Amino acid sequence: MRRSRPFLEVFACAVKEDHRFPILEVFALVFTFGVFAILDLEAYAWNGEVFAYRLVSSLWGFPLSIIFVILILKNIAYGLGSDLDKGVIQTLFSYPLTRRSILRAKLLSAVGVVLLLVVGIQVFALLLLVPDVITAHSSVVFLTYAANLCSPALLLAGLVLLLTLLLKRGGLPLVFGVVSCLAFAIISPLVTSIASATGSDLAMRIWAVIDPNLALQSYYLGTAGLPYAARTWVPSFAEVILHLVAGFLIVAVIFIVAYRYFERRLGI
Amino acid sequence: MRWMAFMGRTGTVLLMIGLALVFVSLIPPHSPSRGSSRGSIAPQQYSITDSRVYTPQTGFRVSVESSDSVQVFFLGLRQPEYDNWRTQLADVYFDSPQMRDFYTVPLVFLMEAYPDLDDIRLIDIMDIMFDVAVLDKGLETHSEVIVWESPPSTAVSHEFFPTEVLHVTVIVANRSPDTVELETERVDSKMLAPKERLVLPARLLISAGIALTIVWLVWKRAKKRAR
Repeated sequence: MRRSRPFLEVFACAVKEDHRFPILEVFALVFTFGVFAILDLEAYAWNGEVFAYRLVSSLWGFPLSIIFVILILKNIAYGLGSDLDKGVIQTLFSYPLTRRSILRAKLLSAVGVVLLLVVGIQVFALLLLVPDVITAHSSVVFLTYAANLCSPALLLAGLVLLLTLLLKRGGLPLVFGVVSCLAFAIISPLVTSIASATGSDLAMRIWAVIDPNLALQSYYLGTAGLPYAARTWVPSFAEVILHLVAGFLIVAVIFIVAYRYFERRLGI
Repeated sequence: MRWMAFMGRTGTVLLMIGLALVFVSLIPPHSPSRGSSRGSIAPQQYSITDSRVYTPQTGFRVSVESSDSVQVFFLGLRQPEYDNWRTQLADVYFDSPQMRDFYTVPLVFLMEAYPDLDDIRLIDIMDIMFDVAVLDKGLETHSEVIVWESPPSTAVSHEFFPTEVLHVTVIVANRSPDTVELETERVDSKMLAPKERLVLPARLLISAGIALTIVWLVWKRAKKRAR
């Protein structure tokens, strides 16, 4: 048997469990409609780069991003958690596949499918409405997507994955993930307020490592001189990239630890 | 045959995205604001009735009724060009930035027609700035900014939705030797997305979605029978 066949088999099982008919279909319908309802070109029509940044960022605001993150967390905590809890994972271990490949197939279904759908619909909508802005500032669009995906989506996905593997059940990690997701929405503006109140950019710099979107936001809105932009810290472009790389490194470390634990210390 | 199930689910998802586009296209545009005004334009002069940013989601209808023939122009500037023109003006024009933004197009046309002008203030230059000759010269130099122009008429009405983000300036020009009395009405329109851009992708997605779903359903049925 070719090595790809069992992988596909595990992946297909995971897709069937994570995205039962018609949940994915209803999500696609509502999300597409939501993207067009939320996109307000007039509100963000500023100069080129800032316009592109604000346009993409608006799609990652409430409620679309929360729905997206919670869906990913549900897939990881509930999907993988119930497999561990009910012993389904032992059946998967009987496949001629490494544990790493099994986890990869599960994550591809839990995170990859939703990510592909969400980013695909958003980029499709943006290309339909403002193809010139998106193609002219593709690097800004890429950076904004990278920053928004890094945190909270992938960071929380990694943490919830690790917790699910440690606890071998999904309930508590899911609650942790949802609470953390809401906490993220509160902490970022709070950190900006603390920075402006104290006049020190330290809190912003530290939080920007965990949430690189804060650095990107301060860079684009600060350099454009928008009245509501944070004045305390306007990072250079190199600093933005540095924070983004640091953010992804943290995410990568969490996933590597989770993979290692799944491979060697799961105890099943 | 897992890939058949994948194909089917891909089909149903594409179908749903296509249907969402259809729903979006069915929502009619609404009018967040409208305004009308009465006024007059001196002989061989022009006036500006509107100047702001419009997007593929926002458009407007302008209706002009006048006592003599007038010509209406919609001039559209992309954001980088508009920013460039505003920067040029910043050095020579000293009224408020809001005024400068509203009168960007006539001020640039004026600067090009009278390159020696310096320390411009609106009050000093009203007559020459709104001269039709200055407008004609500006339009000749920047013919690319004309997104729509009407033939000379006493009643003009036109709806406009830009295909990209544009700073649009609406100009009414009186080329006659007499003062023209006119009544202008502007109705803004706002929609989620332009219908013409949604129709083709919606059709393609729905067609592909139905095709993939049918193949999946037929396969599922055949599999059931085989059991």
